[in-house]
Amino acid sequence: MNGLVASSRRSAQRSALVASRVPRGLTPTALVAVVGVLFVLIWGQQYTGSVFVLAACYAIVTAGMAVQIGFSQQIAFSQSVFMGVGAYGVAMLNTHYNMPVLLATPIVLVGSALVAILLGSVVTRASGLALAVATLMLPLIAVGYVSGTGFLGGAVGAPLPGTLWPSSSASTSVALVGGGLIVIVLLALAVFISARILTSDIGLELFVLGVDERTAAALGVRTPRRKLELFVLGCVFAALGGALYAGTQQFVPETLVDPTAELALLIMLFIGGRRSVIGAVIGALVIQYLQGASNWVSVNILVVEGLLLTVVLLVDPEGLAGIVTTGVSRLRARLGSAPSEGLGGARLSEPSSPRRKRQTPDEVDSAEPVDLADPALLEIRSVFKEYGGLSVLEDVSLTLPERGLFALCGPNGAGKSTLLNVIGGSVPPSQGQVILSGADITRRPPHERFYQGISRTFQSVHLIKGRTVLDNVAVACLASHKSSIATRIARSRLDDAREQASRALADLGMAHLAGREVSSLTLETQRMVELARALAPNPRLLLLDEPASGLSEDQRQRLAGVLAAVATRTCVLLVEHDLALVAQVSERIFVLAAGRLVFDGGPEDFRSSPVVNTLLVGS
Amino acid sequence: MMKFGNLLIAGITTGAIYAMFAVCVSVWYRVSNILNLAVGDFAMVGALGVDNLYRVKGLPLPVAIICTLLVVAAFAYVYDQVVLRIAQDGPQRMDGIVVTFFFTFALSFFIDGVAKMLFGTDVHAAPALWNGASLTLGSLHFERAGLLVLACAVIIGGAFWVYIRFTLGGKALEASGENSVGARIVGIDTRRYRRLIFVGTAVIAAIFGIVESPLTGFTYLSGATISLTGFLAAAYGGFRKPGRALLAGLFIGVLEAMLGGYVSAEYGDTVLYAILAAMVLAWPRQLGFESAVSG
Repeated sequence: MNGLVASSRRSAQRSALVASRVPRGLTPTALVAVVGVLFVLIWGQQYTGSVFVLAACYAIVTAGMAVQIGFSQQIAFSQSVFMGVGAYGVAMLNTHYNMPVLLATPIVLVGSALVAILLGSVVTRASGLALAVATLMLPLIAVGYVSGTGFLGGAVGAPLPGTLWPSSSASTSVALVGGGLIVIVLLALAVFISARILTSDIGLELFVLGVDERTAAALGVRTPRRKLELFVLGCVFAALGGALYAGTQQFVPETLVDPTAELALLIMLFIGGRRSVIGAVIGALVIQYLQGASNWVSVNILVVEGLLLTVVLLVDPEGLAGIVTTGVSRLRARLGSAPSEGLGGARLSEPSSPRRKRQTPDEVDSAEPVDLADPALLEIRSVFKEYGGLSVLEDVSLTLPERGLFALCGPNGAGKSTLLNVIGGSVPPSQGQVILSGADITRRPPHERFYQGISRTFQSVHLIKGRTVLDNVAVACLASHKSSIATRIARSRLDDAREQASRALADLGMAHLAGREVSSLTLETQRMVELARALAPNPRLLLLDEPASGLSEDQRQRLAGVLAAVATRTCVLLVEHDLALVAQVSERIFVLAAGRLVFDGGPEDFRSSPVVNTLLVGS
Repeated sequence: MMKFGNLLIAGITTGAIYAMFAVCVSVWYRVSNILNLAVGDFAMVGALGVDNLYRVKGLPLPVAIICTLLVVAAFAYVYDQVVLRIAQDGPQRMDGIVVTFFFTFALSFFIDGVAKMLFGTDVHAAPALWNGASLTLGSLHFERAGLLVLACAVIIGGAFWVYIRFTLGGKALEASGENSVGARIVGIDTRRYRRLIFVGTAVIAAIFGIVESPLTGFTYLSGATISLTGFLAAAYGGFRKPGRALLAGLFIGVLEAMLGGYVSAEYGDTVLYAILAAMVLAWPRQLGFESAVSG
């Protein structure tokens, strides 16, 4: 009961910050359910209705694709194959074992999920194009297998006697309408699940994963797990669509699994709008109606689809859904006005609350300090890094304490960024150790280092385009990394993350920018947003890769002030080319040259050191 | 040994076809960062267009070939001027997977649909350019059309290699794809190269369709299969490397013939695709997948 009271109190507080709104995912679900049910009840017995139900089967598949392919950009060509698994599974259970379609469907779904987990744990090791090409083989393999297998009906296809509507004594019209209603209910469920995922905290994780896998990992996203979950989700949705296809069409054609079927699904998704669940549903409807129309259009469907896809993508790469949302937001922009940018007030106030624990206790990994007497936060022990015989780091050792500002300098190609990557975990060292608070983290992946308090920015700005400043910072405050996608359908803590993010933005005097889309900002502001993102989770160690590059002198001075304030409560390691800035703000400076540490001392020594002068100043 | 030799000849012939389409895909990708998924459809139009003009309309063969190639070139030119210009040179330059895959993907559907209207749905082929029974050397058999394919592959592939490796134009087109803004700053008209190579590879694809079609026969849907093999071979060549794409095409062709001959005629292709998938998963970096496209 206490938990309930606490959570209701928290949500009451939250509602002061975040405007109250309808529950996540309800609007599209209600839209699909109401329109769908009405349509089936009115036209269910006619040809229009049967095309609609067929489109709804496809829409279940494309709703999953919107999450997997459109939103998270995990391009896997597995949908037509799993539609086949669902459809043939139901057909075989119905034909050979006399099992009703409605009972066979959940059994087939469980089976598909198991197959998808097995297959996915192999193929989702690949990223980007490798994933696309590896999974492109699936429909090619499947069509070869199906057409040669008599049990599945071969090239002829597999008819099935049963219908989706369970009662065999029902009249045809009842079976048609009843089956149609079952499909609509399941489509609404699929839309609900997809929309809830996209609007949850994991939805934000998935968006980052889609934009840049490396940034996602540096921000704590468990990329291998998320990729597998996405793959399984896409496959199960496809299998459900396939099973319902078999149940409503009472026939499984061989062409359901072939590469052309996969391409047709992609066309539906991209015409409708790849990142929008409702868009994906509309895309399926549009294409099925064009194909089902018995006139010039369906005869020349290829020409029509080709032209339609070209025109829609030229107008808006986000498809029909994008065209609509852009129109709506333009209308809104005409009515209101955007807040002005400007960091004149950038300052670092004291944290609004006493130093917060980074994550909830159960989120923190076991690598807590073991040796309390040792004040060192980070220790690098004789690290070597070689790229195919080329030595980039040679025997680099350094130690950083709990607090303070430290700089890493050196000419281009000295290995500064590589050292930062070794600390951050995106590059494994060839030899040597990285110790954080006494625990060896050399072999830990980047996301685990993030949980242990290592936060970083990249040399070039790695913000997530298409999202607001608030969401860009909230990405670093997500508590969802260890949860599964399934748990987030029920409950999301995105609002908590956004609250933490808005505090971090307020600390940097940037609260007024929270609602701006990041690509509309100046470079300076973008770098400050990155800094806010790195600071938001209250890291123990902050790695900054050239935060001042591209900034003007005034902007640098502001940045220096912010960094000095941050360094009073955390350890900052700064890679920087601006020697004046480095000498001004750092208490200790390390200089790398050709992979070796050649200088280690305070700013006074740094200014007078002959090594530094020869290497960096050139005199 | 005789079986092996004949399988090898067959494999090299189909491999040479894959290789040429892969070269077309990867050379244009190098310039434009767009994958031409319609390359096979240009081949199909080449073969069926010549067949239609020669057999149905009764034009002399050389005229039919020239007319078809002109139509293909004109169409590719117009497509570049209209669609790619808006997509890549417009006020809001698009990037990412939408441009990389989906415009040419839509183009492929469009061409197939138009071909269905013009040429119908039957299997046809351009007339053989070099008639006669297959040549024999000992126990080895050479199809004449196959030899023509190999000859074309060597000539066109060699010309491409010389162009990219040794001419200023070749360097410029590489620069266009690596960094189009940078290339424009140093005075390279990236749009011109994009257009030149797009039209050029469309015509080359059409020529290959004409030369190849007597071996297999084409329908209006054959283009997708050809594009797929070209895309795959280009993928295994890391997309930006025409030389490696050529080797990958030959490798896939020979592997396909050997699997069909020694493993199973029925499931040979299934095994082939399984092997290809396993290769991507085992060596993504070595095969050049991770550096090819991001986002």
